[in-house]
Amino acid sequence: MIAGELVDRRVLVSCGAGGVGKTTISAALGLGLAAAGRRTVVVTIDPARRLAAALGMAGLSDEPRQVDPERARAAGVELTGEMWALQLDAKATFDRLVARHAPTPEARDRILANRIYGHLSSAVAGSQEYMAVERLHELVEEDAFDSIVLDTPPARNALDFLAAPERMARFIEGRALRLLLRPGGGSTGIGWRALHAGSALVLSVLERLTGAELLREISEFLGSFEGMYTGFHDRADAVRELLKSDRSAFLVVTGPEPQPAAEAVDLWHALERGGYPVGGLVVNRTESLPEGGPAPIAELGRRLQAAGAADPEDLARRAARTLEEERMLAVRDLDVVEGLRAALGRPPVAEVPLLEHDPVEVAGLARVTAELFGT
Amino acid sequence: MSRAAAGPAPPLIERRLWFVLGKGGSGKSTVSATLGLTAALAGRRTLLMEVAGQNRVSAIFAGASVGHERPVELRPGLFGLSVMAEQAMEEYLTGQLRMRPLVEVLSRSRAFHHFVAAAPGLAEIVTLGKIWSLATELEPDGSKPVWDALVVDAPATGHALALLDAAGRIAQIATGGPIHEQAERIEAVIQHPAATGIVVVARPEELAVSEALDAAAELAERELPAALAVLNAMHSPRFSAGDDAALEAALGAGPLPPAERAALEAAHARRVRELDEQGLLERLRDGVGLPVLELPCLIARQIDLPALEGVAEDLARERPPALFGAT
Repeated sequence: MIAGELVDRRVLVSCGAGGVGKTTISAALGLGLAAAGRRTVVVTIDPARRLAAALGMAGLSDEPRQVDPERARAAGVELTGEMWALQLDAKATFDRLVARHAPTPEARDRILANRIYGHLSSAVAGSQEYMAVERLHELVEEDAFDSIVLDTPPARNALDFLAAPERMARFIEGRALRLLLRPGGGSTGIGWRALHAGSALVLSVLERLTGAELLREISEFLGSFEGMYTGFHDRADAVRELLKSDRSAFLVVTGPEPQPAAEAVDLWHALERGGYPVGGLVVNRTESLPEGGPAPIAELGRRLQAAGAADPEDLARRAARTLEEERMLAVRDLDVVEGLRAALGRPPVAEVPLLEHDPVEVAGLARVTAELFGT
Repeated sequence: MSRAAAGPAPPLIERRLWFVLGKGGSGKSTVSATLGLTAALAGRRTLLMEVAGQNRVSAIFAGASVGHERPVELRPGLFGLSVMAEQAMEEYLTGQLRMRPLVEVLSRSRAFHHFVAAAPGLAEIVTLGKIWSLATELEPDGSKPVWDALVVDAPATGHALALLDAAGRIAQIATGGPIHEQAERIEAVIQHPAATGIVVVARPEELAVSEALDAAAELAERELPAALAVLNAMHSPRFSAGDDAALEAALGAGPLPPAERAALEAAHARRVRELDEQGLLERLRDGVGLPVLELPCLIARQIDLPALEGVAEDLARERPPALFGAT
């Protein structure tokens, strides 16, 4: 049980390696918070169509949509709060960001129509992470929800998305390039000049490789953001402050296998080093230890013979072998969980057992919620 | 289009550059290792690559330190290399400028580093460029390529598509200069089904198979040369319809000692799972429009290299048509 203590946080971030079930855990958290009376929104990054279907939605969009409380009630969950969900649209979020900060409608249109902007805002790497954090900021600012659950994007490094706003703001601000280029007036193109030794060289190299045309376009693009940098920076700062405060909590999600567990330990330590509040560990899909010892093959064979098996001893042997494999995996899971507890200094841990089927309907999610909230 | 009309695409084994992609957790890295081992056993001089600072290949070949300086021999005929964007960038500039001092000026320039770190798509294009230059590298006497097969353990699907698209994007963005022309040459190789083969990996789970179908459709739409779908971690058939009645009767026959009940339940669950997995295999075969290769589930405490090698030996011996083509 971990999430019970986190009910009052404004923002819960679920993070971890790819494929560990972050989206499911995020949805289950959202359900639990809504059941605890919070008006909650779950922000997913991945297209999780079946999850949307499970929540009774044809699909998720960039605008929050409410989960029908009847669906939850049918699955035995009474929502005293509300549960909403949305799926990040990085390009739409970026466009809104530009619209918000552009000094004039003309400046806005100029940026939105810029070729470089088009590539920048739809690039998967970079822009998605940046916009996940920006969307979070919008939701906090609009103040329509008590709790926001952020399902982090599949980054190469799960921490990438935290650094993304600053990295991207810096790129747009063009501190780097503006050292090299001076957006020139007039139509003659680049009006740059060297600011320090080497800049001219760097620039001439870039120009040689890319052609003057691209540099002129980039220069124009950066020029069109003139006057907006402060706004971008303030937002990046505000989000970082919120995420590092006790109004937020990070949950590290992992599977019970050694590889994701090792990545979870790295992530946990990286979060702590970065000054982010880590609220607990979720070990998803653990195999539970079967009851009893090894199956006695002779007895099992006799029982299967009585049940009409064609080759009872062979069937008994296959069944016993299957049980042995289950036990081996369950023991491995126990070892991994214990190893994680030790490595992380006995943090709050929730184990979510492996369900027969992936939880793709509210009832399945509710089982995960129960493990997270200890209800 | 015209490429598709050129005739049936060759099987993966006959292509040189393999990109292995799939959702996180689908087992891309173990599949990459298995395919790399298989190619090497089939007599191909093979380079197995990890990108974007993921050290999964090193983790699988425990003890081998896969570096980014030069390929390390992991097994006879199988080499490993880690491709790092920053280093690839420096190599690229060195090759372009042919003036070491100039490159050093750039490398020392903080402005340049910020630019490299933040410019969207730059890490992808230099990584792809490095992969391309390895794939097109010839022996010093020019007689043949250095590598017969290059297996790239690509990042998770979205980022992998960004990697594969990088050259096309750059060719569009940079309309002049050598970069434009280089990007077009890279794009030509990446899109050519005789040169490049993309492998889509999924686990036999409902959601994973749906996503593999989406990924294959996405590749087709972008005219990227998919070659193979891998359904990874399939449980081999251990129980059959003939076992169902006895298992159910024994389970329903009244109180059982815990160990026996647990064994019967485990057997029953495994049978249900095998049926589910067969259904998912059919769904993938019907919808993916690619040859499908099944790889077995290796039940072990952790990634089991000898077991992976066993799988690769079987593949190299049995030469399944999905990988080797019809004989």
